[in-house]
Amino acid sequence: MEVSNQKKEAYYTATQMQLVRTRFFGNRSAMIAGSILLFMIICSLFADFLSPYDPTIKGRDKDYENGAPQIPMFWDENGFSARPFLHTLEKYRGADTNFRWVYKVDTEKRRYVYFFVEGWEYKVFDFNINLPGKILDFKIPGFTFNTHLFGVEEGGIHIFGTDKAGKDLFSRTLSAIYISLAVGTLGVFISFVLSLIIGGISGYYGGWIDSVLQMFTDAIRTVPPIPLFMCLAAFAPLEWSSELRFFFISCLLGLISWPTLARRVRTHLLSERSQEYILAAKLCGASSTHIIVRHLLPSFTSYIIVDLVISFPYMLLSETALSFIGLGLREPVNSLGVLLQNATKADVLLNYQWYFIPVFFLVVLILTFVYVGDGLRDAADPHKVK
Amino acid sequence: MINFIQFTLTRAGLAIITLLLVCFIVFSLMEFVPGTCAERYLAFKNTQGSQITYEDIEKEKIRLGLDKPFLYRYGKWVSNIVFDGDFGDSCILRMNINELLSGRFTLSLTICLVALIFSYLIAIPVGIISATTKYASLDNTLKFVSYLGIALPNFLVALCIMLFMTVYYGDTMTGLFSQEYENEPWSSAKLFDFLSRAWLPIFVLGWNATAFALQTVRALMLDENDKLYVMAARARGISGMSLLWRYPAKHSLGPVINSIGFDLNRIFSALPIVALILILTEAGALLIEALARSNDQQLAGAIIFLLTATIVFVNFITDIILAIIDPRIRKGVMGGG
Repeated sequence: MEVSNQKKEAYYTATQMQLVRTRFFGNRSAMIAGSILLFMIICSLFADFLSPYDPTIKGRDKDYENGAPQIPMFWDENGFSARPFLHTLEKYRGADTNFRWVYKVDTEKRRYVYFFVEGWEYKVFDFNINLPGKILDFKIPGFTFNTHLFGVEEGGIHIFGTDKAGKDLFSRTLSAIYISLAVGTLGVFISFVLSLIIGGISGYYGGWIDSVLQMFTDAIRTVPPIPLFMCLAAFAPLEWSSELRFFFISCLLGLISWPTLARRVRTHLLSERSQEYILAAKLCGASSTHIIVRHLLPSFTSYIIVDLVISFPYMLLSETALSFIGLGLREPVNSLGVLLQNATKADVLLNYQWYFIPVFFLVVLILTFVYVGDGLRDAADPHKVK
Repeated sequence: MINFIQFTLTRAGLAIITLLLVCFIVFSLMEFVPGTCAERYLAFKNTQGSQITYEDIEKEKIRLGLDKPFLYRYGKWVSNIVFDGDFGDSCILRMNINELLSGRFTLSLTICLVALIFSYLIAIPVGIISATTKYASLDNTLKFVSYLGIALPNFLVALCIMLFMTVYYGDTMTGLFSQEYENEPWSSAKLFDFLSRAWLPIFVLGWNATAFALQTVRALMLDENDKLYVMAARARGISGMSLLWRYPAKHSLGPVINSIGFDLNRIFSALPIVALILILTEAGALLIEALARSNDQQLAGAIIFLLTATIVFVNFITDIILAIIDPRIRKGVMGGG
C-alpha cells in the first residue's frame, strides 16, 4: 500500500521530462534501437581514432585494390593465438590465372594485429570555416594525434575490404556515417530554426499573417521534395570545394523540410495561447517575452524534440538520394550516399559484394532512428497513460 | 447544395492559388540558376564545335524574350500553360516540351497511381490486422517490415531486384518495354509487355508508400479502438470483423483519404531515382536528365509543375470526397443539417 502510494505520488509530482524519460526507458525496442544508435554515433565521433587508414585517397593501399574483407582470426591449422592475426597475402599473376592479379594466401606467415598503434595523423577539435569572403573564414588549429585503435605492422588490415582505388572501406564507412550525421544535424538545425520562426509568427499572431504564411507553407509542402532538392542542388557549380558543397547541401535539406515542423509549431501555439494559464500569466502582467520563454516554449519542447528525431532519417535518406544521383556530396567527401553510388555498378554487384557493407549501416542507422523516434513519440504523448 | 457548390468553388480557388504559388517558386528557381537559357544553349553549341560571339548570345536572348523583365516573363509562362497548355521549348533539346512529355508523363502518372492503389490495397487490411491482433509478435513483425520499408532506400530495393533478375533470369528488367515494342503503337500485345515489366517500378515505388500508409492506418486504428463508442458497441454485443468495419475502420477512413495526396507526393519524390536505375523512359528520368546532365531548367520546371499540379488536383478531389462521405465535415460544409 505504502509503495503504491509512493509510486502514485512520484507519478503526480513528476515533471513532463521525467515522465517522458520513464516511459521511454520502459519501451524495450526503442531502448535497444537507442543503444545501437548511440554506439554508432560514438563510433562516428571517434571515426579517426577507430579507422586504421585515412578515408581519403591519401590512405589508399596500392597493393590491395578491390580487395576482399580481411577478418582477423584467432586460430588456423597452425594453432591458437591469443592475439588476433591475419595471413599474409601475395600478389600473383601468371599464365594459370589468365594474367590477372590474384591474391595468394600464405597461411604460414601470420601478421599480428596490434592495438593503440601509430598511423596516419588526424586532428581533433580543429574547426575550419572556409566560406567565400575573407571575413567569414574562421580557424581553430586543434591537436594532432596519430594513435589508432588497431593496426598491423606490415601490409594492410582491411576488415571491410577495399574499393577500386584501394581505399579502406571500414575507414570510409566510419567517416561516411559521421559526415551523413553531420549533414543531417545541420539540416535539422536549420529547419528547426526556420520552423520555429515561421510557425511561431504564424501561430502567435494569427489572422491574415497566419493565412498568408500557411498558404506559402502548404504550397512548399505540395512540391515533391526530392525533385525540388535536385532542382536546387543543380545550382551548385561543379567547381565548388567539397566543404562548401557540404554546407550548401545541409542548408538545402533544412530549407526544404521546415514546413511540416512549422505547421506543428503553429497548431500547438494556436491551441496553447488561448489556454487559461496563459491568460492567468497575462493577467498577472507578464510580458510577451516572459510568456513565450517561460510558458509557451516549455509546453512543447518535448514535441519539438520528438519531431526533430523523427525528421532525422528523412534528412539522411534525402542526402543519400541526392548524393546517389550525383547532385549531392561528391568525392573526396565520404557520405553514405557517395559510398552507395559506388555499389551500383554491375560488376560490383557480381564480384565485389563487400561494397554493400556501408549500405547495411545506412539501413541500420535509419531503422534505429525510426524506432527511437517512435518510442519518443509514444513517450511524449500525454494521452497515453499506462 | 448551394453550400456544397460554394465549398467546392472555395477549394478550387485555394488549389489554383497554391498552384500559382508553386509556379512562382519553380519559375524563380529556374531564373536564379546562373546563366540564362540562351547562354546555356550557345555554350552547349560551343562544345559541339561552333564559334559563338557575344552578339549571338544577345540575339538569342531577344529571340527567347529574355530581355523582358522577370514578372512579365512569369506572367507569360503561366498564361501560356493555362490558356494554351504550352510549356514552351526545351532549352537544350530545342524541342517543344509538350511533345517531349506527352506520352511520358502519362506513363509516369499511370505507374505512380497504380503504385498508390497497390499500397493502399495492402496497407489498409494489414494495418487493421496489425492494430487489432492479439499477438504482439505479429504486430511487432509487421511494424518491423513497415519500418524496413522506410529505412531501405527504394533505389536500393530496385537494384537488388535487378541483380536477382540478371543472375537468375538473364534479363535486367530495365525499361518499360521490350525492344520490339519500344516504338510500336499501343496494342494488346504491347500492353501485356508493358505490364510484364512495369510491375517492378510499381512494386518498388509502392513498397515505400505501403510502409507509410500502413503506419497511418495502424496508428488511427489504435487511437479509435480505445474510444468509448467502440467500447459501447462492444458492450452491445457486436464483435469481431463486423465491429471493426462498422465503427473504428469507418472512422479511420477520413484521415486515410486525407493522406492520399501526401502519399502520392512521396511516390513522385521517389520516382526520378527509381526511374534512373531501372532506365525507364518516362518523365522522372527526364527530370534527372534535365537537372543533373543537361542543366535544362525549362524542362525541369515543366515536369515539376506537372507533378505538383497532379498532387494539388488529387488533394482537391480528396477534399471533395471527404466532404461527401464524412458526416462531420459535411455538417461543417452544409451547415446545420
